Amino acid sequence: MPNRRQEKNGVKWRSVHTWHRYLGASAALCVLILAITGIALNHTEPLELDSHYVQSDWILDRYGIQAPLEPLSYRAGDRRITLTEDQLYLDRRKIGESYRQLTGAVLFNELLVIAVSDNLLLLTRHGELIERLQDTGGLPGGIKRIGVDTAKGLLVVEASDGQYQSDADFLHWQPRTDRGTDRDSATIAWAVPTPLEATLKSTLGDHFRGEVLPVERVLLDLHSGRFFGSAGPWIMDAAAVILLLLALSGSWTWFKRRG
Amino acid sequence: MLSVNRTVLLLLLLFPGMLLAGGVYQEPEDFLAEVFNGEVPEAQVIWLTGPRKEVVTQLLGHRYPSLRVRYWRQGQRTAWILEEIGKTEPITTGFIINEGRIDTVKVLVFRESRGWEIRHSFFTDQFDQARLNEQRQLDRTIDGISGATLSVRALKKLAAMALYLDQQARQRDA
Repeated sequence: MPNRRQEKNGVKWRSVHTWHRYLGASAALCVLILAITGIALNHTEPLELDSHYVQSDWILDRYGIQAPLEPLSYRAGDRRITLTEDQLYLDRRKIGESYRQLTGAVLFNELLVIAVSDNLLLLTRHGELIERLQDTGGLPGGIKRIGVDTAKGLLVVEASDGQYQSDADFLHWQPRTDRGTDRDSATIAWAVPTPLEATLKSTLGDHFRGEVLPVERVLLDLHSGRFFGSAGPWIMDAAAVILLLLALSGSWTWFKRRG
Repeated sequence: MLSVNRTVLLLLLLFPGMLLAGGVYQEPEDFLAEVFNGEVPEAQVIWLTGPRKEVVTQLLGHRYPSLRVRYWRQGQRTAWILEEIGKTEPITTGFIINEGRIDTVKVLVFRESRGWEIRHSFFTDQFDQARLNEQRQLDRTIDGISGATLSVRALKKLAAMALYLDQQARQRDA
């Protein structure tokens, strides 16, 4: 027959065991999130988590990511060039790297010429990059607008210190001598922005949203708990403390069983 | 103030690379002015179309991002400013080719966070007088730099491309 001390120890042991189970069950979800996101984050490069982007509307809405209301857009021939934040599109297709400040686009001698990021992009009609003209290659700096001199068949840019026209190969730029005259204003067709068609605007908006939030960011926020709002980190902290208690109570239970 | 100075000094002692890391080492136009003694010839262009495009794609392992490349010729010397991605960012490099051999290699802009050691002459001097063999490969072995493997690879590819384009330009201009 067990004595009083043995009975007291038995009650304590059962109590620790019960608490161990409750703690384990309550921390299970957080531990799963921590473990899965932790493993994934340890292999960010091979899994390419930083170059894959979240497409889920629910998550994007949760992060407050919205497409710009009125992206700047130019029509060049039958093509549409649009800058959405830092992403440049030829119709629906994204072109290359990140850009800023779109100041015009024209179709010139069957080439698309786009003034963006203070450079001129020369593209084939199919969107293949021919050359990126920069001020280091003689292009005038501070391009404000771009146009075509329809009388002379020349490409014209208005730079910070005046108007320039290029030769046929876009290798040399010369200041325009008849700037400001009636003849000048009559013959240059300057590129002007035009409103984007509703369907294309919607498509580009969806595309833009789907290229903003890397999967890695969401995993990091899940791992830290920030994904769940301001209380999230505290919940994850609590889960960490519970894990600590589980380790202690588990060890204590194991020692008691052995003893 | 003294503690700030000490902190900066300590950081520089611990991480000397902070002093030497990537950036713009020389503007391309300054490079051209230097190599042509201030008299930069008119730029010319070579188109990467047809078989030329295929060869360049083979040399780089991918398509060159543009369809035409500028170069500058003075007698038998040609200058090329080319770009190739090391890991994620393009490395801008200037090449001077003289009679089919590399005369000068200079890294002008390095945008990556690692591998900037390729800018130093102990590495670029290895390309001196290199030319293309019949397999369109450099005729010598270029020793790598540990920790800069991708940048080294990018520069070797660009050197081969510059030599090939020089051949093409000379054939066309002859």
